[in-house]
Amino acid sequence: MGSAAAGVDFALVGHPENWRAAAAVFSALRGEDLPDDEIRDILPWIPPRAVCRLEVTSRSGAKARGVYVDSFIPPDRLGSPCVRENLTRVRAAAAYAINAGARIVSLGGFSSILIEGDFDQLPPRQHTVFTTGNTLTVAFIVRGVAKMCALQGRDLGRSTLLVVGATGDVGSGCVRCLASRVRRVLLHARNAERLRRLAAELESEGVDVEIATDLAQFSEKADVVICAASLPSPSLLLGEIAPDALVCDAGYPKNLSPGAKMSRATIFFGGLGQITGGLKFEPDLRGILNHHPFPDVAHGCLLEGIALSLEGRFESFSRGRGAITPALVEEIETIAARHGIALAPFFNADGPCTVYNR
Amino acid sequence: MESVVELNPRTECAAATAPIWQDVLAQAVTGELVAAMNYGALAEICDDPEEAREAWEHAATERDHATAFAAAGRTIGVEVVSNVDGKHWKRVRESFLRCVAERDFIGCLIIQEIMLESFALASYTRVANVAPGILGKIFGAIAIDEQDHADHAIAILKAERDANPQRFDEKLHRLHFDVMTTLAKMLAKECKDGHCEVCQFSCVKPSLFEVSLSAAQLRGASLQQYLKTLDALGLPGEVTLAWVAQLPV
Repeated sequence: MGSAAAGVDFALVGHPENWRAAAAVFSALRGEDLPDDEIRDILPWIPPRAVCRLEVTSRSGAKARGVYVDSFIPPDRLGSPCVRENLTRVRAAAAYAINAGARIVSLGGFSSILIEGDFDQLPPRQHTVFTTGNTLTVAFIVRGVAKMCALQGRDLGRSTLLVVGATGDVGSGCVRCLASRVRRVLLHARNAERLRRLAAELESEGVDVEIATDLAQFSEKADVVICAASLPSPSLLLGEIAPDALVCDAGYPKNLSPGAKMSRATIFFGGLGQITGGLKFEPDLRGILNHHPFPDVAHGCLLEGIALSLEGRFESFSRGRGAITPALVEEIETIAARHGIALAPFFNADGPCTVYNR
Repeated sequence: MESVVELNPRTECAAATAPIWQDVLAQAVTGELVAAMNYGALAEICDDPEEAREAWEHAATERDHATAFAAAGRTIGVEVVSNVDGKHWKRVRESFLRCVAERDFIGCLIIQEIMLESFALASYTRVANVAPGILGKIFGAIAIDEQDHADHAIAILKAERDANPQRFDEKLHRLHFDVMTTLAKMLAKECKDGHCEVCQFSCVKPSLFEVSLSAAQLRGASLQQYLKTLDALGLPGEVTLAWVAQLPV
């Protein structure tokens, strides 16, 4: 197992969102472009390992040192047929993070499977704690939706909210945070039983809920949509929503198909935060590893581990599935804000949502 | 090497694929002969008589491997021709001999036990999974053999690195550029620099799919083994990833 010359405060475990992102990292390390067919041939063979070292500075001036560990799951193998192989990769990445001496590890994207299920899938460890980071992801989704509604003059309280992937950890967290703030909630997921259980919980709190395993089955069109499904590729077509809907795509990989035709809808990528105190990469993969239109932007799930590290709270803040509450969301958002980690500027596949970032 | 697997002259191998195996075996025999020569040269610079004896033993083992591969070829009706002066192998050999000239025992081990063994172990294991009958058994048995003596060398190298990581990593990086660049060209999906001078006729790589292999797969498995070996020595993953990313494709 690869080592760290010196122990680190945190580790971020992730995987490439798509082939373009993977190629960008390899090309940067290489110093020249790597042809597409070569990256697809080489990447699946790379053992999980550190890609770069990180140093994050808090707004308070405190610093935390970390490492980004990639499990190198091939982006086109995120589907269920490869789950066993991917689990092995993620466990190896987690073991790498432990070996690097990380005190806290954020498990991004698919990696969260290690502590989301009923069984502890983590490798043996002594002093390292793991978090899915999902609570901060939920915080940034909820904050983004609320801010965007305010900027658009959209009354969230009169909105019909659709959550795709509603029974997942992130989806259910968003539902619990927003259900009481909207007029009606539409819950979509693949598992009908889980949907029924979540709906019953919300109904007991007086929330007007409708559930469906098929998006076409809902009795009305949503005007605020959160996409938080675990999809192996951007393939979601949202045909049954209001034409001028607000759509937050918070999936990793993204949920919305590039072919989704929503010319009048406002789409933004959600669940993302920005480090404002300072972020250094070694080797310098800034803007390559986190390939967003704005500097020092990352997914909330990864930023949660950084925020907790800067706070000196080495604990499994997010663990299991369905345990995210509004109180926890508020707590982690407050911690993150204390260290200058806040909601990222709005952007989508076409670039910055300039009109909303002024 | 006949003691490892009993050769069976009745092994079946489709005539159409025999020329492919002939070239695969030619690379294996050449690699084993280069390894035997390397160990022989290494023995000459060992100060410790015990280390020298081990090096001579390894040289003999590698020659046995070459003999076993050649014999396996005869069971499928092909004559395996080796060429230690083939373009790539010659360069690898020259790199090794530079370390010998400098009496750089650790450099020699790095080339032979980390770089060449990673290549051999990974390739043999993949070939063993798909090669028919006795061919598969021979490749599998020799892969196990190679793993055994690589483990011993890794322990020596790990101790060396622990004593002075910076010096060790710098040496490894220098040798990586030299030797792994050559091996990467050998393992590339296409031989862009012309004929390797080991394959009997045209390059075997485009035909490998006919025996359920591919050049990309052999390269991938070899690089994976190489990175895992560097991990075992304790080199930082982000450093070795960059090294591998910079290899020719």
